[in-house]
Amino acid sequence: MNKILKIIVPVFALALCFNVDAQVLGNLGDVEMDERALYTMTKQMGQFINRFNYEEDQYGKKLNQNDASFRNPDKRKDVLPLLFDLENPRTSGALRDFFVEDLIKNNQFMEFLGGDWYSEVSAKFKWKGKDVDVSIILALEEEGLGSKWVITNVFFSEFQKYFPQGELAEREKHFLHPMSHELDFMNIYKVFSDKQIVEYYASTDYQPDYLTLFFYEIKQGNLVFERVDSVKFHVFQIKNWYFEVSWFNRDGYNSGWLISNLFYLKDEEKASLIKLYQPKK
Amino acid sequence: MKKVLFAIAFAFFALTGYQAFAQEPELSPERKQAIDSLALEKVRDLSKYIKLIGSKNTPWSEANRVIDRAEELFAPDAEIGVSSLAKKNIEYFKVRPYLERLMRLNYDRVEIDWYKIQYVSDLQRQPDGTYVGVITIFQTFKGYDAEGRLVYQDTTKKDITVYVKRKETQIGGRLIGFWDVLLGDMRVKETTIK
Repeated sequence: MNKILKIIVPVFALALCFNVDAQVLGNLGDVEMDERALYTMTKQMGQFINRFNYEEDQYGKKLNQNDASFRNPDKRKDVLPLLFDLENPRTSGALRDFFVEDLIKNNQFMEFLGGDWYSEVSAKFKWKGKDVDVSIILALEEEGLGSKWVITNVFFSEFQKYFPQGELAEREKHFLHPMSHELDFMNIYKVFSDKQIVEYYASTDYQPDYLTLFFYEIKQGNLVFERVDSVKFHVFQIKNWYFEVSWFNRDGYNSGWLISNLFYLKDEEKASLIKLYQPKK
Repeated sequence: MKKVLFAIAFAFFALTGYQAFAQEPELSPERKQAIDSLALEKVRDLSKYIKLIGSKNTPWSEANRVIDRAEELFAPDAEIGVSSLAKKNIEYFKVRPYLERLMRLNYDRVEIDWYKIQYVSDLQRQPDGTYVGVITIFQTFKGYDAEGRLVYQDTTKKDITVYVKRKETQIGGRLIGFWDVLLGDMRVKETTIK
């Protein structure tokens, strides 16, 4: 009960501040409307980062780096819990509190160009005439005078089906013996005799490049973009933590871009996970 | 009056800041703030125009003139992507057809209001050096039939791309630098707020 109060009280306090402020500072509209839900909404991913770091005040005003409130740990501690999906037990319990404590204690912040965060665009494509779901992974890359989002990988179940993991014992049965060269590789026909397992003859560390397959299928005209269904973000920037940020379009004072999933993840374990998002890193 | 002040402020920034900008391409927080104000001014103009275009009291010829003004705020290739709670698929429009569609909506009376809240993102540079930001605003729309009954209403979140580019012009033989602000793609998404 105490925990619930700890969350509800700041949410309402924040909402009340916003109401007052809307009347004092508002300058776009001319009609009095209750804007508290819109103020509390984390409206852009950039605002999520600014709130996460406490680089803007509760009214959305950017704080100057010399301002005493800039990245202020106490204020940050109040705001951080509000950046979670409060309707999800996974992101509103002890794990969240532990995460917030860790952020404050170790002075950890999120940087727009700090790397190790990815956007996942869930999109619909037509593949050989049927509707399919493809997740496109993007990362920010610095180039020229600025930066841009670039595609680093795709998840498409049809591609994964082409490369099943297979039993190790079975994989080990298929190889070209080390003296094959002396016979002008006359045995190489075996590689192509069973097309389902052709990749067993590649190097042990071979990994299929799904992005190249994706581009190939697009160029062949087999895969045709239809629409974007949703967007979310995967953040690996914080030491020993992974979190996901999703868009919550709902009433109340807990909406917009919010943390929808959270894992304690040792940095050693992170590397293999990041490889899924950006294999060529 | 406010507009004149903005113009003067920017002429000042342009004249005093150009030399420094040529050597130091990063924007100071103060200049970023000044550019934010200029971008917001464009968005305010757009919100005024949308209200006029949507209003059934605006004569057709006048609404067309306002559409011309509104179109000038945008970069030539700007698009508007619209989705609703019922139809999540994003429908794409060029600026003019989007505004003309608003003008032709089949209601007897329309109320378009803007929430006072706005959110201005940080400016980021794209590879060619142009600064790009996003301004978020919220609009309520109400459509009434001939009997004065409310037949449709929604609240939409509008995320508007803003491009900020350093440009130069010659005035009286002198090369004067100024900040050019253009609106880009706009994403219009219905929210659950009524």
